[in-house]
Formats: sequence, structure tokens, C-alpha cells
Amino acid sequence: METFLPFLASGTGIGAVYALSGVGLVVLYRTTGVLNLAYGALGALAAFVAWTMIEAGQPAPLAISAGIVATAAGSLVYGGLIAPRLAYRDRVVRAVGTLGFALILLGAIGWYWGEAPRRLLLATDKLYLELWSVRLTYTRILALITALVMVAGVALLLRRSRLGLSMRALADDRNVSAVVGIKVGTIEMVAWLISGVFAGICGIFLGDLVRLEAHLLTFLVVPAISAAIAGRLSGLTETAVAGVLIGVGEALLTPIQAIAPYRTAVPFVVALAAVALLPTHRSVESD
Amino acid sequence: MLTSPLPSSGARRYRSLVPIAAGTTFLAAVVIAFANAYWISTFSSVVALALACSGIAVLYGQLGLVSLCQYALLGVGGWVALRVSHGLHASFEICLLAGGLVAAMIGVLWGLPAFRLRGLYLAVVTLMLAGTFQVVISASGFPDGGPGFFGRADAAQRQLMARPRIAEGDRAYLAYAFAVLLLGLILVELHRRSVPGRAWALIRRSETGALAAGVNIAFYKAWAFALSGFLAGIGGGLLAGAVGQLDGRAFTAADSILVFALTVVGGAYDWFGPIIAGLLLRAVPSLLTDFAVNGYIALVIFGVALLHALVTAPVGIAGQLSAVAARFSARLGRAGRRA
Repeated sequence: METFLPFLASGTGIGAVYALSGVGLVVLYRTTGVLNLAYGALGALAAFVAWTMIEAGQPAPLAISAGIVATAAGSLVYGGLIAPRLAYRDRVVRAVGTLGFALILLGAIGWYWGEAPRRLLLATDKLYLELWSVRLTYTRILALITALVMVAGVALLLRRSRLGLSMRALADDRNVSAVVGIKVGTIEMVAWLISGVFAGICGIFLGDLVRLEAHLLTFLVVPAISAAIAGRLSGLTETAVAGVLIGVGEALLTPIQAIAPYRTAVPFVVALAAVALLPTHRSVESD
Repeated sequence: MLTSPLPSSGARRYRSLVPIAAGTTFLAAVVIAFANAYWISTFSSVVALALACSGIAVLYGQLGLVSLCQYALLGVGGWVALRVSHGLHASFEICLLAGGLVAAMIGVLWGLPAFRLRGLYLAVVTLMLAGTFQVVISASGFPDGGPGFFGRADAAQRQLMARPRIAEGDRAYLAYAFAVLLLGLILVELHRRSVPGRAWALIRRSETGALAAGVNIAFYKAWAFALSGFLAGIGGGLLAGAVGQLDGRAFTAADSILVFALTVVGGAYDWFGPIIAGLLLRAVPSLLTDFAVNGYIALVIFGVALLHALVTAPVGIAGQLSAVAARFSARLGRAGRRA
């Protein structure tokens, strides 16, 4: 048990970020019907912008905000310019479109920032709490708190506000929502904005907790998708729980020598299992 | 319409094989006659990837299915071909076929979710499979003549895969690879022009309609996955033969995504679309290296090209070229009648 505790602690922090990114994906998917596969690449953009500004001597809060703004802007540009052109195509084609966006982002980041290994360092990395002789850095604690607050916030927004009502209406039926006077375009842009902010925050946390590398961060969309699939692309709570479990599961396998090289396959296995258990539901078939 | 025209009857049905044979042979002759050693080896990978892309074209072009694990299936074919070659010292053709058949079986297995879940979920599942393959293969590696089934040789003792006896040299091997590609393209065209093609066209239009017409939907979907996997597997074997060995770290999920994206860009509805996709995947990056352009620019271009293809040109580069050619020949025909 002693050997696993530190990994449990580190897994919870990363799991919280997975949960956060999964929820960001689900909010966008429910409202617009787009499974944003460029989510990880958007997050990478935030991390790189923040890193550059911190290197240039700017205060960390400003750098982080700039990163999140950059990501939100990227998300809005895609959501405003490209996504509407694919709005009436199959859901899978709309997801493939975001792959194109991911390639553009990945290429642009690789071209501008290169491949040198980096880490985004925040002041909170050096401070830590000791719980049961396990070190928990403030960054991980911050990740946990942020995830809890933001997931709860978005859930409240969807359930209690006028905006949330419109978003849920869009999720049910786009055309009928338009007929009853909901501004479909505006609501969709709000969803792209929220999901972009989520992506930015996740990207900055992962750039700190994992590594600042465009390719790696782009493919950290996979655990997020796995969590979202486990929540059947609609349940916020299920998605968040699955995200934490994926992070913890991945980390707990680290000390087991025989499986350790394969531990990064955990999110894939979770998603495959979730799909296998998925009931053949009409909404699943109608894509 | 995007669905291929329903095949006409009689021998005319197979007339479309003529341009395929002529076009592929012409391209092969030009490349083999004029290319230097660097481009000969580049084209060997182009041909291998074109085969894998033709498999994607079957799934996406005929059935509208998005499979994001084709490069992983290429890896499966390569793994089996290398294993059979090092383990049994079988002839190259046997290794290729073994790779193709195993990849076909895995392809059907991985396509199983498509029978129950369609669209988005199939894309996600295949992406997960490509990711799992990436993790497994980079941890375990490809056979390289080491002892046992999963044994790895030391750096000094790594063996290369034996090439076919009739094509030991690089140029001869490229000719051999082009011949295999031609057979693959003919195989696809024969499918499109006969019973499976008709079944796929019906399924694409409406599954309910296909069911009512007595089409065994599961069987023909499985067939499409098997054909697609087979082509990827053969491509993997060809790639293994071209390079001699494969690097486990080179089979990432990102490659599978690129293979799919560029098949859409190249064109999934024309026979030469996969060849264009292969050129985009391997020849364009080589060209950019020649001109000392940063390789990441290629990614940006590919992303823009994919969005462009999805939004305004769903038939891809090949479809646009075909349309231009059709317009041109129609004009020629009118001019001929007038003369």
C-alpha cells in the first residue's frame, strides 16, 4: 500500500484535469453535436503561450490568463467559421473536421515553438502539503479544486440558468429550438467559448503536471474522450468520475513493473469497455 | 451523388480496369526510369501507404465509415510478415499474404463495433485501437530476427527481412511493389463492380432499404472491413520489405489519423485517390525536406486541406481531377462531332 500512495496522490491531480477536460468536451458535444478532437491541441496552445510569457518575465497569473484567452479565441474561430459549414453533416464528419483543426494547431505549434523538451513551471509546484507522508503539491490541489468548482459551476449553469435551458434545448433538437426562438448560433458560440476556456485551463495544468510537448498534449484528448464516452457523451457527473478514475488507474499501474510500459493504454481500454457496454440506443444509432 | 454509379452489365462493367492498369504502369515506369536512390526508397513507402489508403477508401467511399486505425493495421501486417519471414524463412509472397490475412481478421474484429454502433462511435473506437496498438507496439517492438516469438535481437544482430528473390535490388523491388499495388487496386475495383459493391451502395443509401432488398448487412460490412484490413496488411508487408525492419515507435495514432485525413483529401471515390494520398503522406514531406521547409508546415497544409476537402470538395483531389477530365473529353467530343 505504501508504494501506491504517492501514485494515488499524483493520479488524483491528473485525473481531476482529465475530468475537467471530459466535461468541457461533453458541454460542447451536448450543445453543438461536435466531438472536438482538437481539444488537446487547443490546450497545448494555452500552455505554450503561458510558457512563453512566463519566460519573458511576465507574472504567472497574466501569462495563464493570456494562454486561456488564446485558446478560447481559437475555439471561437473554429466554432464561428468552420463548424457552421459542417453543421448539417453527419456527426462523424463534424468530428473529422476538428481533426483538421488539430493538425493545423499541432503544425503551427511545432513550427513556432519547436521540439525542445520543456516544462511549464508554476510557483505552486514548490509548495506542498504532507498527507500520510505523501507529498501533494499545491498545483495538484489547485487542479482538484478547480475541477470541482468548474464542474459544479457548469452543472449549475446548465440546470438553473436561462442559458443552460437553451443549451439543453439545443441538445434535444436543434431545429425545434430555433423555431421557439432560441438563438442557435449565439448559444453555440457560448458553448465553444466555455469549452475553449476549459481546454485552456486543462492544457496549462497538463503542461505543468505532465510535460510541455505539443504532440503529447494533443493526444491527451484521448483520456478526455474516454471519460466523455464513459459518461455517454451527456452525463457531467459520470464523465467527471470516469476522468478521475482514469487518472488514478494510470498512475497506480506505474509501480507494477510488468504492466508499467502499457499503463498509458488505460484510457483506451476504459473507452473500449464503455463502448462495449453501451446499449444500442436510438440516439447512438442515428449518427 | 457521391455513391459510385451502379455497375452496368456485361463485359463493359470491367472497362474501368483499363485506365487503372495503364495509369499505374505508366506511373511505375516513369518513377523507376527517372528517380534517384532517395526517391526510389520514398516511392516504396508511397506505394505501401497507397495500398493502406485504398482500404480506407473502401470503408469511407463505399460505406461512409470512418476508420482511424488503418496505420495500426498496416503495423499488424508488417509485424506478421516480419514474424513469418524471420521465423519460417518463407517466401516473400507467403509473408505478404500472411500479413494481409491476419490484418484482415484483425480488421473485422476491430470493425465489430460498427455492426452495433455507427458513425461517431466507430471513429472513436478505432482511434482508441490505434492508440492501444501504439502503446503495445512501442513497448514490444517488431520482430527483428531475435530468438523466440517476441524475442528482440541486439543492435548488432538485427536482421533485415528477406526481399523476394526476383526483386532484390531497390529499383526491382519498387517495380514489384507497384505490381502488388496494381493487383490491390484491381481487387478493389472488382469489388466495386460486382455483388459486394452493389450491396455496399445499398447499405450506404439506407440500411433499412438494404435489409428489405435481402442484403446481409453484417456480412457485407464485415467483408468491407476484411478487404480494408487485407490491403493495409499487404501494405505493411511491403513497407517491411522495403526498409527491411520496422520501428515500433513509428506507429502512432497520429499516423493513423493522417492516413485517414489524406485519403479524404486525395479522394476516396476514384481509383487513383489512394495513390495521391500516398504521395501526400510520403512524397510531399520529402519534397519539403528537399526545399528545407520546416516539416511542421506540412501538418498545417494537411489540416487546411482536410477542412477544405470536407467543406467544399468532398470528392477530394482525385474527384476534382476526374471532373476536369470529364469536362475536357465532353468538349473534345462536341468538337469532334462538329468537325
